[in-house]
Amino acid sequence: MLKNHPVIKHILGRAGWYLLTFLVAVTINFFLPRMGKANPVDSIMAKVSAGMDTKSANAVEEKYLKEFGLVEIDAQGKIKRGHDGKPIKASLAPQFINYVSMSLRGDLGGSIAQHPKRVGELIKAALPWTVALQLPTIVFGWLIGNILGALAAYKRGVFDRVFYPGALLMSAIPAFCFGMLLVYVFAIKKEWFPAVGGYDNGLTPELTFNFLSSAAYYYLLPFLSVFLLVVGGQAIGMRSMCIYALGTDYVKYAKLLGVKENKILFYMFRNAMLPQLTGLAVSLGTMVGGALIAEIIFSYPGLGMTILGAIQSSDYPVITGCCLLITTTVLVANFSADVLIGLLDPRIRAAQGGSK
Amino acid sequence: MSALALLTALLASGVGACKRPNGDDDAGLPRSETLYVAGRQWGEPTTFNPIQSSVQWPVNTINLMYETLLLYNPLTGQMQPLLAESFAQHEDNVEVTVNPNARWSDGKPLTGWDVKFSFDLGDKNRGLPMGPVWQYISAVRLLDAAGNEVADTPTDTPDYPRRLQFMLAKDAVNPLVVLDSLQDVRIIPRHVFEPMIQKIGLEATTNEKFDKAPVISGPYQLKQYSSEKIVTERRPDYWGNKVFHDGKQAVPRYVVHPIYKGNDHFSIALRQGTLDMSSTFVPRIWRKAEKGVHAWLDKPPYFTPTAMPMLLINVKHGALADAAYRRAMAFSINYTDIRELAGSNYSEPLQPGLIMPFGLEAPFFSAEDAKQYGATHDLARAKQTLAEAGYKSTFNEKGDLVETRDKNGQRVPTVYIKSPTGWSDWEAIVKIAVRGMREAGIDARERFVDGGVFWNELFKGDFDMIMNTPASPPSPSKPWSRFEAVMTTRDFAPEGEKVYKNMGRFNDPKAPGYIARIDQLLGKIPTITDAAERAAAYRELNVIYMQQQPTIPLMYRPDQFYEFSTRHWTGFATGQNPYLPPQIPGERLGTGMLWSIKPVPQD
Repeated sequence: MLKNHPVIKHILGRAGWYLLTFLVAVTINFFLPRMGKANPVDSIMAKVSAGMDTKSANAVEEKYLKEFGLVEIDAQGKIKRGHDGKPIKASLAPQFINYVSMSLRGDLGGSIAQHPKRVGELIKAALPWTVALQLPTIVFGWLIGNILGALAAYKRGVFDRVFYPGALLMSAIPAFCFGMLLVYVFAIKKEWFPAVGGYDNGLTPELTFNFLSSAAYYYLLPFLSVFLLVVGGQAIGMRSMCIYALGTDYVKYAKLLGVKENKILFYMFRNAMLPQLTGLAVSLGTMVGGALIAEIIFSYPGLGMTILGAIQSSDYPVITGCCLLITTTVLVANFSADVLIGLLDPRIRAAQGGSK
Repeated sequence: MSALALLTALLASGVGACKRPNGDDDAGLPRSETLYVAGRQWGEPTTFNPIQSSVQWPVNTINLMYETLLLYNPLTGQMQPLLAESFAQHEDNVEVTVNPNARWSDGKPLTGWDVKFSFDLGDKNRGLPMGPVWQYISAVRLLDAAGNEVADTPTDTPDYPRRLQFMLAKDAVNPLVVLDSLQDVRIIPRHVFEPMIQKIGLEATTNEKFDKAPVISGPYQLKQYSSEKIVTERRPDYWGNKVFHDGKQAVPRYVVHPIYKGNDHFSIALRQGTLDMSSTFVPRIWRKAEKGVHAWLDKPPYFTPTAMPMLLINVKHGALADAAYRRAMAFSINYTDIRELAGSNYSEPLQPGLIMPFGLEAPFFSAEDAKQYGATHDLARAKQTLAEAGYKSTFNEKGDLVETRDKNGQRVPTVYIKSPTGWSDWEAIVKIAVRGMREAGIDARERFVDGGVFWNELFKGDFDMIMNTPASPPSPSKPWSRFEAVMTTRDFAPEGEKVYKNMGRFNDPKAPGYIARIDQLLGKIPTITDAAERAAAYRELNVIYMQQQPTIPLMYRPDQFYEFSTRHWTGFATGQNPYLPPQIPGERLGTGMLWSIKPVPQD
């Protein structure tokens, strides 16, 4: 039956694979951070154990271990102990089952290092920063980069000769270098722009002119630090795709047929677009992972920082929760791209339909 | 581009919109009424619960919201009054008297019942912040003015008890630790906590956040917080205004702690004048003076050191059991390089031993002993010490160490020095130490480990050598608590079991060669009242320390740094005008600065 609906067949096939990928990723997300030697409670103990005798310290440690479900608990809610009197570590399998059932209910658990915060709260606080920093840079960077790239390929001449090396340079500069350079020149030397934070310290996020103008002012440097690099990278890709398309048979054929130039350009653009579209989907998906470098340089409290902090303190639930979020968005974005390409690309329709 | 800016502003405005001020004006916090301080809060604030050990600014830095009975002045060594108007040390107890004017923010008097409750909570729950002192006290007695014991049942009487006696535990007499706790334990409102604990239990109570207008006694109340900053607002009815400040209010209406991600952000914010004070490490502070950024002192060492980062040595590991080997290590390290290269020169030259040769510890320091018994950087002495103990080191033709053999011809295994990855100043220190040791013929190497693993290995003794700063914060018990932290056998446990003192397993009480005198001195020093006798005991202990070298001190460092910018505020305490110790407002005595600073008129 599906034979008559090649697009649906394509989509269902992809969906199956994505589901499998998702399950594997969730399992890895859970087990990988927990396999190391590091124990999140140790980092807490380092902070709180000053001046304690061993007995008090052990009492505190066991309280935390119990609270975070890292030890076996008996029916009375007491910690189970081995013959040496030490608490028995909880095995991973029941923890995993618990994690899956909690995740299905939308509960990502509680943070250990930032106890008693919930993982959901942490993500909720960090996500807007990440989206605000990333979404405009990716979307605008992609749009402008692609347009400029196509123009450069088509126009050639002086424009290309000036633009291409510039774009090449931008795409090759490491993000941290460029960000630091911007901060050094415009914030520290010239003092034109603030160097850290998202808005003036004295303000509270709200819809007032004061706040919005402050946010825009603080936003410019971090925005540019990512935006220009995205433009450069996208433009290079689009330029070479277009140059390739210019030499293809269908363009030559269309030219020979005397098809109008605008029409040819449209064909070319549509074809060159496909890989770029996948690229956009992937970057939108990985977006929630945060622009770690920009976040570090500009002290933006986004998701990248949240994950970094969680990894440094072995905060399993936060690592797992953030990875789950990233996994989900990457897969959803990729899947959407696949669907979109299935709709746009006649070759896929043809292949899935089995026609020659 | 303007459309872009608008859009981004709109997007950014969604950020953290969940926490709104309680009816503030549009303009936000006026700069001339706001003091920005930083350095004591790194991640997103999680809890403001005063009975949590891992609590956030400003509760963690003591007396902006919750207050202690006394305050310790690290410049003078004196205990100064806060909630307690006076204290006295007796034979078997330490007595305090609560100030009759002390009030909670809800208007209720702060009574002896509150104080007793705040301490008693730790008796049965040793894991709470007030728990550890119960190793050294047996009871807290509540007395009326005439000295009769009062029942521990709070009433509304205006004649409430104000005298308390902290009874010293008979088996561990140690008034020093008790004094430590009097300037460390936050006094909490009993009329809030007792009913809550009865209703929901202690565990649930410790998980409460106490972030909504909690009942406090301190001068600033929590106003709002987010992942970007914590805002506190002046309380006009703070009881201490009358008692300590002639009825005047603190000057800044708001004290705000912005949350940045790394040390360099604090430096930049200070330079730009968006931050007024910081207790973070700011490199090359002398180059920031032109921007109005200063440290405690305007010349080296810029800060007053109170702590000693050192290398802990696991004496159960091979040749490290040999005091001669440990001393050879101490001779081989270039402490000047460490101070200048890794410490930004924020430190005075290091003297051997565990006692600082300046400040409050100077009376206990003996230059003569240091010269006779101490190890300073001296490569020849290092080699000589090794040779005398029978060690033979071979070097290749380039002068690099190949191996070290002991007097039985056995190869001495490589000694690994552990430090957390990414702690760049510590990494630099370890590299300098390793270089010196290898030059002297000691097979040492650096090993940087993940921060999560580091602490576990530190407490379990899973190291040859490891970086640590024992007993870092200034307190009345210095330098005793520093000795205790590296030499006591009170909680001695074999490697693999966690201990929080003497992680190097030095002076095993069950092993041959146990030096009983160390534990005797550690037990005796806190009880000595005669100054000369105390100095003699410290001297003896320090000599044993230098002979045994159970750890290797590397430099002096302030427990907290202290920098300020004069762009928006002036009148901070400095080395030239030390009316308060180098503690930023919100940090213990430094809070007093809030009544003395003045805004700088801006044009």
